[in-house]
Amino acid sequence: MFIKSIKATFIRDWITQLRAYPMHFFIGNVLTVFYTVLGAFFMYHLLFQGHLKASFEQYTGTSDYMTYVIIGSLAYALVVRTLLNVSRSLITELRQGTLESLMLAPFSRIGYFIGNMLQQTITSLGEVFLSMIFCLIFGLSVGTINGVTFVVSLVMTLYAYFGLSLCLGAIMLYTRDTYISQNTLFLFIFLVSGVIFPVEYLPKYLNVIGASLPVRDSIVILRAAVMDGVTIESLSPIYLRLFLLGTGYFVVGYSAIKKIERIALEKIFG
Amino acid sequence: MIEARNLKKTYHTKVKKGLFKREKDIVEAVKGIHLKLEKGQIIGLLGINGAGKTTTIKMLSTLIKATSGEILVDGVEINENPLKIKQKVNMIAGGERMIYWRLTGRENLWYYGQLYGIPDKVLKTRIDRLLTLVGLNEKQNVPVERYSKGMKQRLQIARGLINDPDYLFMDEPTLGLDAPIAREIRTYIKKLAIEEQKGILLTSHYINEVEALCDYIYILDHGEVILEGTAKTLSESTFETKITVLELAEMNSEIEASMQRFAVEENAIIHRSPDAYLIRFESKNELTEALVKRIHSENLPLSKLYVEAPKLEDTIIEISRRVNS
Repeated sequence: MFIKSIKATFIRDWITQLRAYPMHFFIGNVLTVFYTVLGAFFMYHLLFQGHLKASFEQYTGTSDYMTYVIIGSLAYALVVRTLLNVSRSLITELRQGTLESLMLAPFSRIGYFIGNMLQQTITSLGEVFLSMIFCLIFGLSVGTINGVTFVVSLVMTLYAYFGLSLCLGAIMLYTRDTYISQNTLFLFIFLVSGVIFPVEYLPKYLNVIGASLPVRDSIVILRAAVMDGVTIESLSPIYLRLFLLGTGYFVVGYSAIKKIERIALEKIFG
Repeated sequence: MIEARNLKKTYHTKVKKGLFKREKDIVEAVKGIHLKLEKGQIIGLLGINGAGKTTTIKMLSTLIKATSGEILVDGVEINENPLKIKQKVNMIAGGERMIYWRLTGRENLWYYGQLYGIPDKVLKTRIDRLLTLVGLNEKQNVPVERYSKGMKQRLQIARGLINDPDYLFMDEPTLGLDAPIAREIRTYIKKLAIEEQKGILLTSHYINEVEALCDYIYILDHGEVILEGTAKTLSESTFETKITVLELAEMNSEIEASMQRFAVEENAIIHRSPDAYLIRFESKNELTEALVKRIHSENLPLSKLYVEAPKLEDTIIEISRRVNS
């Protein structure tokens, strides 16, 4: 049942995406990364004229600001797309009137969410890799990438995002809101996760809150794999922390979603 | 058999009072319902005021948990093994929900079939059979968003049958459909009970539909069963009087006077119809036998004589009138 739920949901979402979302939707997502990087490029070269505070290198271990920003932006794009899709899945079912028929079936919830995330991850990775190509123009340097570390970091990243997306999904289903919850969270993630500047520049309290979200660590390991080409072993403490964070979010999110599903079904007709 | 015993459901809701203030409210949607559904049987749930029909269906179909009471499906308590129970039941609702509009008819059935864990070979054969049953073979590869209302409803029926359930809950299955399609769907429903031995629980606002399809009817009001029985026993227990109808081949003042005398003798009330040859006698007892004797003794030109059973609609209107008063 678990594998069938993954496969079926993956295929269903794939067909729906091919049928419902035209190519310009894909291009639109790529352009979002493009504009973020373009903004950073202009600021770095025209406003700061390539000058960085000495503390930047001290905190990040690099003086290559553009690669720093680009990796951060690409990882952020991956967060937004995967997190958003999984967390929105059940409220979308509710809105299109299929939540009841879905819940009538004895399917695997985890399988359903994984299928959903897998499909979205493939699309998002397509967008991210396409974005990487034009990001080369802006100075993205991938010469030192460690492929194995990158793949492991990506898997760990997706694992951690999966747990977080279940929590967000539970909030969305309970409040029946997608816009406020998703946008508030994503703006906050952008601010506290070191997407375009080191988190050390943040006030302490924001730093503490930011550390409780898995996005920050995922950006750190992806950057380390691409920019420093480090080995898996050297990142193992962060992997462990990310695993624990992701598992924590998964446990909370999964149990919350089971309860909120029932509340949502009771609310449909009251 | 599905058996619900003393089923109760209480909702805790919050009511907005002003911009920030909210008050807690408790709604007793279902207050101790007992009902039984056997395989091959169609039972109806008819509601009067906020009756609790949909809540009852949701509890029976495992969608929501009862606050108290017991639901046994073939002897197994519903909460003991909900996954196993889900394989035995399914639900069809009126309207255009419960199917994916972006997918085709066949893709919808395939997706739901996968969620029920049906083996691929069995699923393929079943989808073919169901598409034939609901007459969607030709449109099976067309996205549902291009279907008409009736086609969507037929696909819903196929979806409800994808796990070959023993029991099927139908919540307003013909809601908003044109008369010929509604009739077609009623035919399917009857066929499912008779030929496929499915136990069907039906709710509908169309009382004639319930009367035509249901073997047994539960009438709900404010979350309670206030009356149950067949359409015939419901009307018998609702109406204290019986209507005997006499149709004559001709009418004159002599016959009319004779009928007036008969009514007085039998303690009946006469209702004359606009059709001059038709007389309705309302009395506590059936008057067929007495009327036959009178017709014979006075050699009246009889055309028809029968007892008029009240329609279920009349019964519901009467019950509703009593409840509201």
